[in-house]
Amino acid sequence: MPHLLEMTFYQEKINHIKASCYSNDQQIQTIIETRQFIDTNFEKDLNLNVLSDVNSTSKYHLHRLFKRYYGLTPKQYLIDKRIEQSKKNLKKGMSVTETCFAVGFESLGSFSKLFKTKTGKSPSKFQKEQVSRSELDTNF
Amino acid sequence: MKVTLISIPVRDQEKALKFYTEKLGFIIKKDAPLGGGNRWITLVSPEWQDGPELLLEPAPNHFEPSKVFQDALMEAGIPYTQFDVDSVDEEYDRLLKLDVAFSVQPTEMGTVKFAVFNDTCGNNIQIVETL
Repeated sequence: MPHLLEMTFYQEKINHIKASCYSNDQQIQTIIETRQFIDTNFEKDLNLNVLSDVNSTSKYHLHRLFKRYYGLTPKQYLIDKRIEQSKKNLKKGMSVTETCFAVGFESLGSFSKLFKTKTGKSPSKFQKEQVSRSELDTNF
Repeated sequence: MKVTLISIPVRDQEKALKFYTEKLGFIIKKDAPLGGGNRWITLVSPEWQDGPELLLEPAPNHFEPSKVFQDALMEAGIPYTQFDVDSVDEEYDRLLKLDVAFSVQPTEMGTVKFAVFNDTCGNNIQIVETL
């Protein structure tokens, strides 16, 4: 166990990465705010124009920075967020159609297709499994 | 192919089971005997029970290179495994009260906050919060 006051190899590496890749605090703050905006507005009609207006940044710049700091594009992040929320809604018993629109998708077809791609199951199958699982827990 | 299992080397499975369930809060998914006192123990997150399983793997006791690698990572302070949390600060406070030792206190870097603690089973573990 290294002495607490000594810097470990890992801490040295972290400091190096921080200095070389994450030194622009203002830029990082803008991107964090963009993610937070998506988190609280994912059910709305969001696109790069809206996001860039919020932060007064050019949309291409924003797209590039988001990908750089989060490793995925704003659109990919938005889809993941919506799918994550739709799983919560389906678990709570909300219908597939209602869930689709509640999380911001405009078409049931694209929602079902994306849901299956991301989770391996259709929304209705996912919901049935959740219900049967909770019944199993209480009845078995 | 699906990613379903993450292995973590531990020196003492029973001790690890206690630490990972009682302090970290994971729950047992599978526990089966493997002979020679070894067990196939997997854990899952209580809020994601159909998510990936964490295998408490006793490799360092049976395969010397695993022990050497684990010791080297520990010495260098490198966490080979990380878990996502909603709040690093809250987990840090909670685990400190449970006498968990941290080698890296909550630190922000780019769009994440993280901290590193000792799992008492031979590993540095990193907890991460996306900012």
